[in-house]
Amino acid sequence: MYLAPEGDELEIVNAASDFLVGTTPISRLHEAGCADLAPSAREAFGEMGWFALAVPEEQGGSGLSAVEHTLFFREAGRQCAPVDLLAQCLLANADLDSGLREDVIAGTAGAALLVPSGASWRLLGSSEARWALLVERTGGAVYSMDAIALQERPALDPTNSLHVAESLPQPMHVFEGPTVWQLGQLAVAAMLVGIAETALDLIVEYAKVRETFGRKIGSYQAVRHPCADMAVRTEAARSQLWYAATAAKEERADAQVHLDAAKHLANLAAMSNSDTSIQLHGGIGVTDEHDCHLLLKHAMTLSRLFGGKRDLLGRLLKAQVAD
Amino acid sequence: MDLHFSEADHEFRARARTWLKAHVPTDSRPAHGEASARFDRDWQRKLYEHGWAGVAWPKEYGGLGLSGLQQVIWYEELARAQAPHHINTTYVAMMHAGPTLITRGTEEQKAFHLPRILSGEALWCQGFSEPNAGSDLASLKTRGVVDGDVVVVTGSKMWTTDAQHADYQELLVRTDPQSERHKGLTWLICDMRLPGIDIKPIRTMMQDEHVNSVFYDEVRIPLSNVVGEVGGGWSTALATLSFERGLGFIGDQLELYERVNRVIDLAEQVEFEDGRRAIEDSAISQRLAAIKADAIAIRAMTLADIAETDRTGMPGPKGSMMKLLVTQTHKALSEVVGEILDWDFLEFNGDRSNNPWIYEYLWSWIFSISGGTSEIQREITADRVLGLPRAR
Repeated sequence: MYLAPEGDELEIVNAASDFLVGTTPISRLHEAGCADLAPSAREAFGEMGWFALAVPEEQGGSGLSAVEHTLFFREAGRQCAPVDLLAQCLLANADLDSGLREDVIAGTAGAALLVPSGASWRLLGSSEARWALLVERTGGAVYSMDAIALQERPALDPTNSLHVAESLPQPMHVFEGPTVWQLGQLAVAAMLVGIAETALDLIVEYAKVRETFGRKIGSYQAVRHPCADMAVRTEAARSQLWYAATAAKEERADAQVHLDAAKHLANLAAMSNSDTSIQLHGGIGVTDEHDCHLLLKHAMTLSRLFGGKRDLLGRLLKAQVAD
Repeated sequence: MDLHFSEADHEFRARARTWLKAHVPTDSRPAHGEASARFDRDWQRKLYEHGWAGVAWPKEYGGLGLSGLQQVIWYEELARAQAPHHINTTYVAMMHAGPTLITRGTEEQKAFHLPRILSGEALWCQGFSEPNAGSDLASLKTRGVVDGDVVVVTGSKMWTTDAQHADYQELLVRTDPQSERHKGLTWLICDMRLPGIDIKPIRTMMQDEHVNSVFYDEVRIPLSNVVGEVGGGWSTALATLSFERGLGFIGDQLELYERVNRVIDLAEQVEFEDGRRAIEDSAISQRLAAIKADAIAIRAMTLADIAETDRTGMPGPKGSMMKLLVTQTHKALSEVVGEILDWDFLEFNGDRSNNPWIYEYLWSWIFSISGGTSEIQREITADRVLGLPRAR
């Protein structure tokens, strides 16, 4: 029993962090035309094998597990990486024919994510991508983007462009089983934990240097105590994320319950930490030039993916965990 | 990362479960008085005689010498078996006096006290807080004057839980009258039967008299009862507090999940005036599910922390974050129960067994104030986890 990254896992964390800071730093979101994953960046991720950490070696992946996958996406969350990255990675993990999988793993063919929204669907990611991926708890479907009629919508969250599809064509591929959903849930929970951590880091660093009334604001309990509460929420969400990722890796019978709990806690931690971080920053926190609002807006996107509040709590009420 | 319990862990769990099923007392614990202490001593003695006392204490001091993780398993099984709650009159002896003596005591102190603690023969209480030194513990004033081979103690302590039942006390006094704050303090083992000690109960909002004021009038304590150095009491006290914050609430952390499930069962049964069951009310069911998610995460936090402590050997600062979350979750759960039970929640004759739900609610303030208030836990988190600048 050990519930923190160790050994080779730490190397994945460092390598992922370096790569994401180099490729999709959060600072990119202050530039025009920053939405989605550009094809060149996608191919760079593919070259390094980041889409296929959890894909078995015989299928062209790294043969690692849900744990390394989770560690990678936590770093992606810290940079508010686009949802295309998630779609591409999940498609690489779906049960596809090998030619298609090869292109997806290499990043030469792109994927975007479809999510149900009332009677229609939303597309997150580039509409220039070749594939659109729809994932449910029990399986999923892959559509050719060419065959979907899309209407563009203005997006609050600058990480991704947003489209609506009123109907979907026949899928090109369908796959069954809970694996892709679980990897999606882990990835999104991990990104939300990364956002919660970043929101806390930002205010803690600021509180150490910013002065009011002749004192560092970090010495005032009105700032210290909300920061402590943010740390508690983060610690709870991160511990549960590690537990869920490991439960998925070890194929435990109660893994899905732990995943639902992890996603719920990650939703809460990211939303409440980005909220509190803006407030404690004061005026600078509401400016466009600051990163705080980017964390909040991306958390609002991610908290709706792979389990929102009502869905998760409805399932957790009767669920039981094992020893 | 891995979630594997070893073969030895599984075997330990199975043995604990079987034993507890056969031996957990069927009669409920008396709420007050000497009868409650007798009940706790009897249960502790039973654990001792059957080889279950001091799961994570070293073998050389009479414990089972098992890992922190096996201690977690033990508390999970206690909760599952609805065994007597570990926060009882044996709590201070088992959860902090014992561990403090193990790490800081002399061989003579250990040889005398540890077996008595494990067997339930000796109950302990804590003499740290004073009327003007609670959260600000280092401002304490109770005086200890070294006179030959005794320390003569004069002053008063407050909030001393179970002082009326205790045989010994962890007593923190100022032995250097010129000293300030953390310097010049000494940690003493005080025999509660010494002349000059006067105990006065403080009645709490729970209508019970578990906590006390303790007055010391020239109480003569042998110098051989100093734990650590004369003047080095703050260091010993920090060790005591780290045990309390690190492992002291581990039972509550793990029990929370069972407790949420019991409230969900309650919500299944209770019917509102409109004929709907409480569980069908979405405001109630959502809050219960969210508390359950917190309970699941608290268990993950506990396991993460214990596994880390098993590697490093000392509890870290995460205990403060854990206590904050557990006390908040505990109170939130009681608040939902209040909505489910409505007027029935308000019937209480002062006896825990008469309305355990309201008792838990009232206790939630004891939980979030004793052992370091939530505000102090936030200060510790801000200092030691986040490294924020201090005002003091």
